[in-house]
Amino acid sequence: MSDHDHDHHHDHAHHGHDQHHGAAQPPAPVTQDDAGSQALSEALRSSFVIIKIFMVLLVVVFLGSGFFTVGPQEKAMILRLGRPVGEGSKALLGAGPHWAWPYPIDEVVRIPISELQTVESTVGWYFLTPEQKFSKIEPPPGRSLNPALDGYTITGDRNIIHTSATLTYRIEDPVHFAFDFVSASNAVQDALDNALIYASSRFAVDDVLTHDKQRFQEVVQSRVTQLVQREKLGIAVEQCAVVSIPPRQCKAAFDAVLTALSTRETVYNNALRYTNDVISRSVAEATVRTNAAETERVRLVTALQAEAQAFTDLLPQYETNQTLLTTRLLTETLGQVLTNVQDKIYLPERADGKTRELRLQLSREPVKPAAQPPNP
Amino acid sequence: MKRNPFIMTIGILLILTAALLLMSFQVRKSEVAVVTTFGKVTSTETNAGAYFKFPWPIQTVHKFDQRIQSFAIDKDDECLTADNYNLVVMLYVGWKISDPAEFFPKFRNGSAQEAASTLEGLVRTAKSAVIGGHPLSDFVSTDEKQLKFTQIEDEILARVQSQVNAKNYGIAMEYLGIKKMGFPESVTQEVFKRMTSERQVYTSRIQNEGEAEAAKIRSAADSKSLQMVADADSQATAIKARGQAEAAQYLSVFQKNPDFAIFLLNLNAIESSLKNRATLIFDQHTQPFGLLQGYSTNLANPNQK
Repeated sequence: MSDHDHDHHHDHAHHGHDQHHGAAQPPAPVTQDDAGSQALSEALRSSFVIIKIFMVLLVVVFLGSGFFTVGPQEKAMILRLGRPVGEGSKALLGAGPHWAWPYPIDEVVRIPISELQTVESTVGWYFLTPEQKFSKIEPPPGRSLNPALDGYTITGDRNIIHTSATLTYRIEDPVHFAFDFVSASNAVQDALDNALIYASSRFAVDDVLTHDKQRFQEVVQSRVTQLVQREKLGIAVEQCAVVSIPPRQCKAAFDAVLTALSTRETVYNNALRYTNDVISRSVAEATVRTNAAETERVRLVTALQAEAQAFTDLLPQYETNQTLLTTRLLTETLGQVLTNVQDKIYLPERADGKTRELRLQLSREPVKPAAQPPNP
Repeated sequence: MKRNPFIMTIGILLILTAALLLMSFQVRKSEVAVVTTFGKVTSTETNAGAYFKFPWPIQTVHKFDQRIQSFAIDKDDECLTADNYNLVVMLYVGWKISDPAEFFPKFRNGSAQEAASTLEGLVRTAKSAVIGGHPLSDFVSTDEKQLKFTQIEDEILARVQSQVNAKNYGIAMEYLGIKKMGFPESVTQEVFKRMTSERQVYTSRIQNEGEAEAAKIRSAADSKSLQMVADADSQATAIKARGQAEAAQYLSVFQKNPDFAIFLLNLNAIESSLKNRATLIFDQHTQPFGLLQGYSTNLANPNQK
């Protein structure tokens, strides 16, 4: 483009030169020539203006192309001649519009940040094709596990389990994350795989699967955290979820243990219920017995008290007329007794004074349970 | 000669730009560059920035990624532990170019892939050597004191690093870890058998424990209940005794006339003993039926025999 301009300029100059040369020539053609060259130079001058404007525009566009926007989920860094502009965290540009020289002077590097990233480790899980994973229809387990395909981990007591982990992390130091690693997310994945193997190797199978799930998860998480810190990945671990199952080849045996455990719980609870029953019945029984004794005591005391009272009341009469009083009381009592007594048999003495022989057939109707008196 | 200064400036700028492009190069952050003069390494640039060079064919620039690269060793070759267990161990390795001037001539065109495959060979050798020096209990154990998991990783790393240093590859080993650990396929079947039988033992132990525990609880309940009833009985006896004692204070009243007292008590006894469903047989000697004979009404002096 500029070369072209140059040529034009040259032509023009040449033309002027010619004009100078042709001063000795006849005027008529000169006038004609002059008019023609004037028109030409006029045209050239105006095109020059256009070209100038065009070039200025080009420069403006060139500089304007240096504007860029940084989104809320990312940071950007300007590399001027390959070197970051600014030191450390000051080099990071936050959300908003920014300007940089166009390439090759400046290069804008965008780094995703603050959004949570997730990696999953299936290094301890049996092999599933993506379709099987998606459809959740799993093939039946084989008799053995192929170490090249199927994943599993070995526990501290040399058992085999399947365990998988999902790690959520945030990029904390984007400079390390983006510029120190070819693939930082791969490094995170490796660290997570290692943490699962590491944690499994120190737990007994029952601890991983039942008793100590929480601690197992904590060990996985702390190991990942430790590794990413040591490798300076520049990430912060947010959350680490671990799922562990026994190998499917032993599932029935593991289920039997669970059943046994819940049966034990039931048996235990039944025994506790039995205890409650027995104890509350005994408490009732004990209360009945002490209450009965209390009643008995009160009855005894009151009865004797009443008799003593009666004695005191009657004693003056007795002392006055002993026979009359005793007869009256005896008769009264007998009258009372005879009213209550069911069978009354009068058997006068034989005239000769010999004893009579009396035969009784005791065939009482049985005592009705409801009418049973409290005292025998 | 009238030349347009504007046009002149542009021309000079363009020539300068072309010359700059030919005679300079940029080293981006995370990159390192090696400059060769007629094929020989003459300088290295490890800091980011722009640098001058003579144009091709005098000097050539080779740039390398200085970031940490990683690869996994996932061939399932088995290694023998010190106590003769076969173990399949897979590793991951992180490394980076530490000295590009050394690194560049060792591998064709400084190919990172070639370097990785060389490293892989070294790591595998180191792996089997280190695993062979440890028993299985160093890898997996419920006793944390016995475990040498991280030591094993560090040992392999140190071994590889010393090899790399000895050969002057210009490579720094950044990290190394176990990515997967397993038994050979045939062994897993045995492990499953063992696990199943262990579970069965465990199951029956749980069942027995449960029964025993329940029996213990029940018998404890029974004995506690017996204890409670017995306690209540003794308490009842004590209450009754107290009643007797309280009643005894009224006996002194009867001392005034024991004969009359006995008479009254007898009356009461008769009354209460003949209260219900009794059968009474009597003759004319019993008062007041003495009336039925028409005579012998003297209570104090009963009839002759």
